[in-house]
Formats: sequence, structure tokens, C-alpha cells
Amino acid sequence: MPRVSGAGRGSVASPGRTGIPSAHRWIAETDFESHCARAGHHVDTKEVALNSTELVQFSAVTVVLLLVLFYGGTFIISARIGKKEENADGYMTAGNKIGFGVSAASMTATWIWASSLYASATSGYTYGISGPIHYGLWGALMILFIYPFGKRIRAVAPKAHTLAEVMYARHGASSQLMLAGSNVVGSLISLMSNFIAGGVLISMLSPFSFVQGIVFIAAGVLLYTLWSGFRASVLTDFVQVVAMLGAVVVIIPAVFFITGFPGAFETGASNLSEQQSNFFSSDAFLNQGAPYIAAVLAYAIGNQTIAQRLFAVREDLIKPTFITATVGYGATVIGVGMFGVLALYLGIDPMDGDVNNIIPQMVASYLPTVLVVLFFVMIIGALSSTADSDLAALSSIMMADVYGQNIAGGKKHADPQRMLFVGRATMVLATAAAVGFASMRLNILDLLVFVGALWGALVFPVIASFYWGKVTNKAFTTSVVLALALFLPVRFEWIAMDGAVGYLVDVVSVVGVGVIAGLMAFGFFGLRVAQIVGVVAALIAAPFSIGFLHDYAVLSASLVAYAVSTVACWAMSVNSKEEFDFDVIAQRVGDFDPAEANSDEDPDNDPTLTKDRA
Amino acid sequence: MSTVALTIYVLIWPLLVALVLLVLGRGFAKEWLESRRNGEDLV
Repeated sequence: MPRVSGAGRGSVASPGRTGIPSAHRWIAETDFESHCARAGHHVDTKEVALNSTELVQFSAVTVVLLLVLFYGGTFIISARIGKKEENADGYMTAGNKIGFGVSAASMTATWIWASSLYASATSGYTYGISGPIHYGLWGALMILFIYPFGKRIRAVAPKAHTLAEVMYARHGASSQLMLAGSNVVGSLISLMSNFIAGGVLISMLSPFSFVQGIVFIAAGVLLYTLWSGFRASVLTDFVQVVAMLGAVVVIIPAVFFITGFPGAFETGASNLSEQQSNFFSSDAFLNQGAPYIAAVLAYAIGNQTIAQRLFAVREDLIKPTFITATVGYGATVIGVGMFGVLALYLGIDPMDGDVNNIIPQMVASYLPTVLVVLFFVMIIGALSSTADSDLAALSSIMMADVYGQNIAGGKKHADPQRMLFVGRATMVLATAAAVGFASMRLNILDLLVFVGALWGALVFPVIASFYWGKVTNKAFTTSVVLALALFLPVRFEWIAMDGAVGYLVDVVSVVGVGVIAGLMAFGFFGLRVAQIVGVVAALIAAPFSIGFLHDYAVLSASLVAYAVSTVACWAMSVNSKEEFDFDVIAQRVGDFDPAEANSDEDPDNDPTLTKDRA
Repeated sequence: MSTVALTIYVLIWPLLVALVLLVLGRGFAKEWLESRRNGEDLV
């Protein structure tokens, strides 16, 4: 492969590499927002890439060959498990009995997407040696902290397909559609972001254009996912995770030694500021870590791709599956984030002054062609495994929540063949929509902000609904709407935060800190410990927060959403006469396809499952 | 941090990834063999 040479490295001025960007700008980017924004930032880099540095360039034939090998291989794998007549429940959750290896690999592959790799390196380049930790660790904890709740959800709804479907059985259509709607928007945005990342990578390393790259990726993912749905997604995830993680194992040490480390740690130390060279950097924690901690439970609850795997894995394997995926995601994303740290020591100027270009720039500048091919496969694997999961998530929501529960009228009345048609049609339409949005490069930041807030507002009502029989549909929907209504003026600063209003927002935010800490503890240790942890966390946060936290609009708005939905939901439920019988959920939610129901053993005869539910 | 500590800090992640890869591979192999033995689908 030729290396395309331009004006030489370093011709683009550094945007103040060693300076910390303004706290407000960085704290204003929640995880999901920044993920998607990062994918979009790459769109116009091709010309700059060619003019400012030497990059390996693939020929059109090479790229087509790589894509045919990658997507052809995954298609063959999915075709081998394909059935002439797929089962509707299998299409959504693969029969609720997937083993550890496949499910842990699938959860890992789904949670690692191209933008998370770029964002971790950006964090390393911006905040120094602790940057990747403050990015990857909290993202990994999203997987870890959801599994105790997942075990409870699975115990009350062992054969469910989506979290929203269980909400329908628990509360009714309004709560269900609120959760399902946020899931759909989140998955569509994720799908679009992954297509953008693919288009950018292909346009950067080959003669193909950005839009051509998007179409290649979208067609490849749809090709192997369409027929068998979730079953194809999880099985191909295993192959993709092997390719991805295998590439990480080779590429990180290769870049490390080729670029002159460990010697460069001494020669490049002067390139780091005091904060960047401090492992316990307060800048990194306040600007990168803290906003992500607030997002841990929100993204886990708001993501149907996680819920789908919670329902698909064998019930007794939930814990090892999610712990392994936590370590796999954390090690991969933090490891790739080290590219940013190495670039900082080397004094590399990012192409176009955009730190998101660090990874492709380092790989394509320093590594031999064979390792650039490996990198290409790693990124294609990362974005494809997440995109196919998004398609499977979207199809399951349309099949179970929209058609199954609301149109057909429940599992006894739904036609499994029609469900499959709905699922496949959803995949085609979602792919077309995501390709269209990605090609148009729509500005979706406000939509992202709204979805993130909705997820935060949903956390307490959703979790409480699985444990507390007093929570009513009215309390659920009212608390979420009220939280959103108070989130918006704080987030977009529609009201002046001077004086008493600012202090009031700070006090409510401190309650939000207590809610988040309490909920995290509740999953693992139960109610009493959670109450103590919540109160202690709020008391510790108060002196550091009251009086200044309202300056950080996004962080305080997220905390307000948590606090308001929690307090409102609790206040409306605590005196409720209702005492919901959780056994009803398992009767209302189950297999839609009789073929699936007949092929399974009766779960009540399985002593391990009965013990778990007890 | 010393050069040795920084080197370990950077290179420990790919080692951890390799370990996860082994765990996943072992789990997958066991399930695949079991599904073949029982004549069932893997997923």
C-alpha cells in the first residue's frame, strides 16, 4: 500500500495541546452526546489527512476485498444458523438460554463501539495518564451495575423480550411506550453514529467517499442480521470480538515499541502539564469522570441492547457474563485510550487540530500495512457489532412492544409470522433511516440531550417498579414528565441561576448525588445499605457542590432529573393502597411463538432457576 | 510515575484483554462442543 505524503507531520498548529479545555465545554458533553458528536467530527478529515501527514492508503480493490471478507464471513456464519422458518421469540432473545461464552462476548462487542475507542484516546490526550481510566472505567461500570437489577428483572419476567414489555405488564401502555420510545431513539442514534464512523474510516484510508463508506457498512450489517435477527447478532458478535480484542492485543504493544517507548516517557515528559502527569488528576475527575458517573445507570436502563442480553443469557449465568463483559470492555477501551497518552508524550499534533483523529493518525502513520489492516478490521468489527445489536434491539421493540402488546393484544393473539415480518421490516427501515440521517449529517445534539435526560428520569421509576409493589402507573409517568420539565430549564439555562434559584438547583442536585449512590448500592447490598450510602454521599457532596454546581449546566440538570423523578415517584407511591403481585408479570409476559414454548423445558421444574427466583 | 510504572500501566491493558479473550474462547469452545454433543443449536 502506498503512503500518501503531504506537507509533513506537524504542519498543522497544535490547539494548545497541554492546556485543559474549558471545564464547561467538557462537562457539557455527556457520554452519549460526545460519542455521537465524535463520530460526526471525523466527517471532513479526508482532505486534511492527506495534506498534513503520511498515512497508509488502501486501494479501492483492497478495501472492497477486506469488506467482502469481513461481511462475507459474518454472513456465512449467520447463514449456517439460519432456519427456513425462524422462530419469533428466537429472533428476539434466542430462546432465553444462551451460554456464557457467546453472551459475554456479545455484551462486550455490543458495548464497545468505534466512538468509544476514539473518545478514550481523546480523553488520554486531553487529560493525560488518568484520562483513559476516567473514560473507560465508568463505561465499564454501566455493565457491572445493571446486572443485580437484571437478575431481579429476569426473576419476575423470565421469558420477556424487552424491558418496556415488562413495564407494560407492570403498569400499562404509557409507561411502556415512554421507555420503548427512549430505547428506539437511542438505538437509531447509535446506529447512525456507527455508520458515520464507518464512512469516515473508509473515506480516510481509501479512495471511496464518506457516503459510499456508509452504504458499504449499512449493507454489510443488514445482510447478516436480517434473516435470523438477535441469533445472528450474538453469534457474529463472538467472531467480531475475537477480531477486535485480538487486534488490541497486537496493536497497542506494536505502537508502544515502534514509537520509541519506554524511552519516550523520559524524553517527552516535558510535553505534559502537572495535571496531565498526575494519576490522581482532579481535572480529569471533575471534567471527565464525574459526568460519566452520573450517566452510569441511565445508559444501562435506557439501552435495549443490554436488556436483550439480560433476557437472552441463561438465568444462572447473568453474573459471570456481565462481570466478564465489564472487564473486557474496560481493558479494551482503556487500552486503546493509551494511544492518546502516548501521543501526548510524543508531542504529536492531531490532524486538523481535532484530537479525535489521534488513533487513526498514529496507526496509519507508524504501523506497517499489515497492522493497519488489523486496525481497519478492529474498527469495522467494533461498529458492526454495535450496529447489528441496535438493529436487533429496534426489531424486538417493534415486534414485542408495538405489534405484540399494543396492536395484536398480547401473547395469545399475536401471529408469530407477522411478528417476524414486522421485525425484518423494522431492520430495513431503520437501516435506511440511519443511512439517510448519517449522509445528511443532521445536527442531533438537542435530541441527544433530551434522550439522555429521559433515561436519567426513568432510572428510579423503572428500578422501583421491579421491587416495590406500591409504585403506580400514575406515579411512574408523572414523575418522569415532571423531571423532564425541570431538567429542560436547568440544562438550557432558560432561567437565571443567580441567588436563591442557583442554590435551590444545587440542593436538588445534591439529592440527585444521593439517589445515584443509593441506587448503585441498592443493587448489590439491599435497601438499608443503600439508604445509608445515599445519605452519606449527599452529605459529603453538599459542601463541595452547594454554591457552584449550577455553573455546570449538564451535570446539575442530570442530577436534578434523577432527584425530581425519585422524590416525586416516592411521594406519589408511599401512601398508595396498591400492592402489586409480581407473579402476574410472568403470566402476562412470555413466548409469542408456540413453537418456542413447546420446545423449552418448563422452567419451574428447573431447581436452579426456582432457587434463583426464591 | 517512573518509566517502569508507566510501561506496566500501558502494557497491562492488552494483557488483560488477552486474558478476557482466553476466558471467552474457553467458554465458547465448551458451549460449542456441548451443543454438538446434544445435537442442539448453539444459539
